[in-house]
Amino acid sequence: MSRPVTIAFDVMGGDHGPAEVVRGAAQLTLDSDSIHVLLVGDRQQIDEALSQVRHNAEHLAVHHTPDWVAMHEKPTVALDQKPNASVLLAAKLVHDGEADAMVSSGNTGAGVLSCARTFSLMPGVRRAALATVYPTATHRGEKNDPFSLILDVGATVDATADDLVAFAVMGSAYARIISKNKDPSVALLSNGTEAMKGPPRVVEANARLSTLAGVRFIGNIEGVDIPKGTADVVVCDGFVGNVCLKMLEGVSETVIELARYAYKEKLLWRAGIAMLSSGIERIKEVTDWEQYGGAPILGFDKLFIKAHGRSRARAITNAGKVAAKAVSRDLTRVITEGLPKS
Amino acid sequence: MTTPTRIYRWDLDKTYLQTEFDTFRQLVKTAFQKAHEKKAVPGAAALIRELKAAGNTRLCIVSGSPTQMRTVLTEKLKLDGVEFDELVLKDNLRNLVRGRFKALRGQVGYKLPVLLESRARAPQDAEEVLFGDDAEADAFIYSLYADMIARRVSEPVVYQVLEAAEVYPDDITRIIEQWKTIPQADPVRRIFIMLDRLTPPAYFSKYGPRVVPIFNYFQAALVLLGDRHLSATQVLKVTIELVQTAGYNLLTLSNSFQDLARRGLPLADVAQSLTEALQGPAAMLQMVRPVPDIIAAFSKRVASLGAQPPAPPARDIDYLSLLDDARPRDKKRTRFE
Repeated sequence: MSRPVTIAFDVMGGDHGPAEVVRGAAQLTLDSDSIHVLLVGDRQQIDEALSQVRHNAEHLAVHHTPDWVAMHEKPTVALDQKPNASVLLAAKLVHDGEADAMVSSGNTGAGVLSCARTFSLMPGVRRAALATVYPTATHRGEKNDPFSLILDVGATVDATADDLVAFAVMGSAYARIISKNKDPSVALLSNGTEAMKGPPRVVEANARLSTLAGVRFIGNIEGVDIPKGTADVVVCDGFVGNVCLKMLEGVSETVIELARYAYKEKLLWRAGIAMLSSGIERIKEVTDWEQYGGAPILGFDKLFIKAHGRSRARAITNAGKVAAKAVSRDLTRVITEGLPKS
Repeated sequence: MTTPTRIYRWDLDKTYLQTEFDTFRQLVKTAFQKAHEKKAVPGAAALIRELKAAGNTRLCIVSGSPTQMRTVLTEKLKLDGVEFDELVLKDNLRNLVRGRFKALRGQVGYKLPVLLESRARAPQDAEEVLFGDDAEADAFIYSLYADMIARRVSEPVVYQVLEAAEVYPDDITRIIEQWKTIPQADPVRRIFIMLDRLTPPAYFSKYGPRVVPIFNYFQAALVLLGDRHLSATQVLKVTIELVQTAGYNLLTLSNSFQDLARRGLPLADVAQSLTEALQGPAAMLQMVRPVPDIIAAFSKRVASLGAQPPAPPARDIDYLSLLDDARPRDKKRTRFE
């Protein structure tokens, strides 16, 4: 039996309210004997949600707090005003050893700031990175995973070459452990594939990653390579990553809008889309982000999985599983061992 | 012989024994299991032994298992060191021969008369604690039994309930007649429901605070300590069996403790008694050290709830609105995710 792992869930703040987070966490208590959940939030709302779902109370505890950070709130101000906000309290409970990792579907900034205020950066890591997964045309790893990992997508806007190297090590370790991809390919996102292309920090990072043991660095890739899945782990600074991610999301939404338009516009187009529907469903299935649950904040000595604000119970359950897997396989140690020694 | 003052009534399958009979294959496997192959629910045997240790008690078992299993079940109980006073099993062969097919799966028409007959033989002042599970209709049957003896439920309602539960007319007559011979009393103190199917505990709130759903027998022992049926040392003995035989640890036990606290069960005195017992010199308790860690774990779980949740309110049970609970498992409409 694997060692017990406790995951703290910030129950408040998600788009669908506490009920979905509680449902997802409750499911986790049924799915695994080795995962315990610590629900941080308003006790009454948690108990109301628990009254509707099967759960194993032997693997579940509640930590009551009435405060939380809403999506629209400014993280710094909100956390200053609410020291017992559920996301900050969850981070403190992880720091104090009451839990091993945390999951939140609430305000991303508040989550990252809670980690920054509570956790320590790993030795050799100057800045944390927010990672996310993106569906690609290529499959990888034991699980035939269609997702590539992109980091950073917003935590560190002004990354140095050192930061980019650290992100590469962290992303590679995460892909090995979570995607069961034994030897993930890692690339730097730039404006050309040549090693000399890009701003000085990217050029310098390229040179250093080329000689770094333990990371299968394949060089630079361009934006077009992200959806192709050329690399399993795509490394960039938070500014570029965030712009890139938003653009990719925008393209997806536009394609859906165009399909809707076409469906309404002509009978022939509608018939065509209907004929493609099973294929579209299949694509939706294999690229379903809910199976991944959430995105990790990497670089701290404790793990934070940021679930999407829109997360339903299934995504929350999977976010908890990802967090538990990362803890039980000692992601922090694997990353620390892979970082270049100064 | 001492007069029994406390009667503990137990179901067997899924309450005392870890039994699976959801599929035909499981049913056959269960039927052919030898005594030593049968597994008790962790802590059940220890709890019964401690309850019986008080001396002035009776253990009455009523099970839906067929009478043909008497030998193997008796042997299993003996292996576990459990001494019973009554063991009533279901004569399904007789039901089959008489063409009473509804009675094969029906629980109300079987258990209710058995309970009433046993009560008729018991001293009037005897208190009762009942143990069942969430797989069939135990919460419903036990509550109805308690309220029938206390005359909190009227005869027309009992009729309607029994008819809705598809009890055969002659059995209805037998139940009503038996009921009338029992003097009015209010002996049932607690009804524990083992959550084999992990039904949310809140589902049972409609049965009032007398019904306590439990995830394990540590929780039952805690409540029984509060009810003064067990001492703190006896609760620790049950806990030790759970730790040694079923892998329970500080986390699962403190979570179980908090679960009861969240439901509003008053545990302050219980916690105090346990702390004193843990700090005592008894050699048996050396294996549950380190005591400060145990006390800290439980204290943290209680403190993290903020204010003490309110106790569950007493309520009259509207049996006619709960008829779904009286149906056999495969005919119930209520399902949880």
